[in-house]
Amino acid sequence: MNLEDRDPMDELLCETLRQDVASAAGSLQALEERVLERLGDRLPRRGLWGSLRSMAAPTRSGRRAQLVFVGATAAACVALGLFLGGRLPSAQPAEPVLLGGAPAPARSASTPMMKSMTAQAAVGNGVLFILPAPNARVVSLVGSFSEWEPIPLSDDDRDGIWTAEMPLPPGRYEYAFIIDGRWFGQDPSADDYVKSFGEYSSVRYVGGGGDGA
Amino acid sequence: MSTEEDDGIVYRTQDEVSLLRAALEGETAAWGEMVMRYKDAVFGLCLGFLRNRADAEDIAQDAFVRAYLNLRRYNLERKFSTWVFTIAANLCRNRLRYRRNHPVMEVDYEFEGGADPARMVAREEREVRVREALDGLPYAYRTPLVLRFYNDLSYKEIGDILAIPEGTVKTRIHRGKAMLKELLDKERESA
Repeated sequence: MNLEDRDPMDELLCETLRQDVASAAGSLQALEERVLERLGDRLPRRGLWGSLRSMAAPTRSGRRAQLVFVGATAAACVALGLFLGGRLPSAQPAEPVLLGGAPAPARSASTPMMKSMTAQAAVGNGVLFILPAPNARVVSLVGSFSEWEPIPLSDDDRDGIWTAEMPLPPGRYEYAFIIDGRWFGQDPSADDYVKSFGEYSSVRYVGGGGDGA
Repeated sequence: MSTEEDDGIVYRTQDEVSLLRAALEGETAAWGEMVMRYKDAVFGLCLGFLRNRADAEDIAQDAFVRAYLNLRRYNLERKFSTWVFTIAANLCRNRLRYRRNHPVMEVDYEFEGGADPARMVAREEREVRVREALDGLPYAYRTPLVLRFYNDLSYKEIGDILAIPEGTVKTRIHRGKAMLKELLDKERESA
């Protein structure tokens, strides 16, 4: 930007922002060391094409991703079938909120029902997110695919099963449910979990993608 | 055989593309040099988004880690700063969303912000006022201002990083400055 384009307000802004960064110089000094420490011996990941090839090739990680995907889809279908067939009590408490608030330490904190009922299944070109929450009033989905903007889940037949279908290209997605304003980040059927800022989010691999930034 | 210190000197004289190629081959020290070159700029961007120094440091660190892990996706013909800024901006947005869903935590951050040494050591009163006015701006307006006036980026680059059209960038910068002036005037009147 040309200096002559700047008015006094611009100059003041520049100076203030520079001061902000300059005042942090001490703590930024070792940033590169902290970054390298976190990286350890890890190498840059393959790109999307490399990941797709690894899905096709019979490697351990590719097979795992395939199995997780097939398993999650099957679990979702079976669970939905059971529920719609009336074999599960319809008044089951929705209490995924038991994991909300403070971050739960592990998958085992969820109930068996949650394990069987919560899933994301591939449907046509989209991915179906399913959450049983009979007592919930509002359920939404937030994730890296929506810039963490809430996407409402619907329960049109009021059976307590909330769903949303998302058209997602292959990739790795982080997501969580928000149930009546409370964060529910540990979907039992997620492929993986990440903990950032003291809170869990679920991770979903679609089509074998695994390199999301 | 070269020592680590020698390596550091070698890297310091290398151009970015050579460093990135070396980093891609697993030479993390080359990545360390890239971090050194861009850490202030990335931190400045994060601070502009988050207005909290501790958070900005965390996110800046995370951005460099993620950038390295995804380095194979980076197109060497693209400007590196735009790419790493985009990663940092996305991480900042996630952080802001997280804060929105965690209002209790936000109180803590505000408290931290209030004790930020950056404010305590502010040399000039008007800078403190500008800083406070910046805090009061919605981030949608604040961030383009930071990218423009701290990172010195073009409207197009800002648009690429924030995923908004160039015209919107211009509007937000214009409106952001107007809002900032208004906030400063109000504060002056009440003082």
